[in-house]
Amino acid sequence: MSVLLEVKNLKKHFPIHGGLFHRVVGQLKAVDDVSFVLDKGKTMGLVGESGCGKSTLGRAVLRLHEPTDGTVILDGVDITKLESKALVDARKDMQIIFQDPYASLSPRRTIQQTLLEPLETHHIGTAKSRQQKIEELLDIVGLRKHVLHRYPHEFSGGQRQRIGIARALTLEPKFIVADEAVSALDVSVQSQVLNLISNLQKTLGISFLFISHDLAVVQHISDDVGVMYLGRLVEKATTTSLYSEPRHPYTKALLSAIPIPDPTIKNQRQILKGDVPSPLNPPSGCTFRTRCPEAMDICAAKVPLQVEVGSKNEPHWVACHLYEPS
Amino acid sequence: MSRHMRSNKPLLSVRDLVVEFSTERGLVRAIDGISFDVMHGETMGLVGESGCGKSVTSLAILGLIPSPPGRITAGSIQLNGRELVGLPESEYRRIRGSEISMIFQEPMTALNPVFTIASQMTDVLRRHQKIRGKQAKNRAIEMLELVGIPSPDKRINEYPHQLSGGMRQRVMIAMALSCNPKLLLADEPTTALDVTIQAQVMEQIVKLQHELGTAVVLVTHDLGVVAESCQRAVVMYAGRIVEQAPIIPLFKNPQHPYTAGLMASIPKIRTDKVLELPTIPGTVPDLLHLPEGCRFADRCQYSDDRCHKEQPNNQRKDNREVACFHPCEEA
Repeated sequence: MSVLLEVKNLKKHFPIHGGLFHRVVGQLKAVDDVSFVLDKGKTMGLVGESGCGKSTLGRAVLRLHEPTDGTVILDGVDITKLESKALVDARKDMQIIFQDPYASLSPRRTIQQTLLEPLETHHIGTAKSRQQKIEELLDIVGLRKHVLHRYPHEFSGGQRQRIGIARALTLEPKFIVADEAVSALDVSVQSQVLNLISNLQKTLGISFLFISHDLAVVQHISDDVGVMYLGRLVEKATTTSLYSEPRHPYTKALLSAIPIPDPTIKNQRQILKGDVPSPLNPPSGCTFRTRCPEAMDICAAKVPLQVEVGSKNEPHWVACHLYEPS
Repeated sequence: MSRHMRSNKPLLSVRDLVVEFSTERGLVRAIDGISFDVMHGETMGLVGESGCGKSVTSLAILGLIPSPPGRITAGSIQLNGRELVGLPESEYRRIRGSEISMIFQEPMTALNPVFTIASQMTDVLRRHQKIRGKQAKNRAIEMLELVGIPSPDKRINEYPHQLSGGMRQRVMIAMALSCNPKLLLADEPTTALDVTIQAQVMEQIVKLQHELGTAVVLVTHDLGVVAESCQRAVVMYAGRIVEQAPIIPLFKNPQHPYTAGLMASIPKIRTDKVLELPTIPGTVPDLLHLPEGCRFADRCQYSDDRCHKEQPNNQRKDNREVACFHPCEEA
């Protein structure tokens, strides 16, 4: 399997201004030293709670946020080094689907205008072929041709999200970041859109970075899953391995916190104490130690390193002192 | 604290309630003739997707339907035998906060940003319990402690923005329960929270409900939360109740095809990977252009001519009700 996307030591720090002269008084480490590899045609899920940096990571990978440090290599090209013109060209290969289908479509443009724009910007095809292309796309996402002349407000949330997906597909990208793409939808519609995304992945061979706070959704759609906490990846594994044998205490707690839709099962829940600490002033060492039921002395002193705990077929690493060989 | 008197009479009884909103596009019937009971000390789930009328139902119970454009046009809501529909606002104010309390989805907008937690909590106590000053503050601290807020004596002097989302929701719960209400309406209380915080808050609600004997109506779209904390659930679709049943039979054997479809399509952690998630085809009908017959008929795999022409009535059988001509058989 060939590698499509390689993210190395990616950092995104936001400066915090304060004081009399609006000087930089600190750094908010939204994404701190994240590395991972995504193969062609695969989907990596990225889970974590609000404020853990998963959306910032998704945007930094696309350079929608300028990364502070690190490299992002998409199909052999280092995105972080590209100049503006070359970047515009590279953007054809990478697209994003946003969370809120109400905010991400321009209310003053018809669906046709919205879908044609990327093709026009990149001067692809003739007027006729563009038209044909967007009609095909509508068919792929399960909408009928006559919707082209309508405006976003005439559609339901699920339909809008389909339009958002069609827009992301117009340039035949190799890689799509789906940032909470189904979170705003009701369950019955959510599963329709999820099925659509997983079909696209199979038929068009697109790689996805699927960002979500919903572990069940991520399990369904992903080949690999990364778990983020306060700007860092704390565990990454194949989906099978992560859900059957979670290692990091945070991953375990996340999985056990999900309500089970079966009243006959009494969930033996491990409830985490407290809240996520402020990313402005994260704890020393392992950032999870303040909520961790297994915290030891070393956790405050040292940042845990990645430890490989999986097998050849099921790669699995975790950054936790519990698994470090002594 | 003592448990409330339990009797066979329902605490809250809603009968044939109709709520209409006049909009630019026409009259919308957000709720169309719903009836249900809530017993003393029971936790009841009110489930459905966006736009089904679950939040309007809870607003109607609280007498908070914005009027105009909204109006309760028919039906009755009785609390302990007392009719609430048509009650003057001054009377309703005495009930809200003392007999019926509420928790909303977004605690930041439900708390006043310019007052401290202390002043907002003692305000409720002063109004309804006629206790003030030091005594009220002590009672407020006691409530904050009960909902698991660390160092409540310090936290009480803070402003809402100084607290995290989970903390704010706990403050809301503490405030809602401070006057020992008989009924607590919780409208999507954990939807805005992360799963680990959701687990903390739900545990708190369930614990307090047991200790104080408060009846809870939990309005939510999350069937997982309902399965874990409710004894009974009412499922709504496009302004009507399609099914109501005790929780175990409801999940084991959903009778309405919509309930069954909803349960099948919840994403859940599975041990075996499925290729295709089960879905309900189509979308919820527009409340302005409702079909003549059953509102779910267009999306239902069992529908026939009759479903498209007639509205099914509620059928009652051993403790459960379903409004369907072709209810799913026992599995």
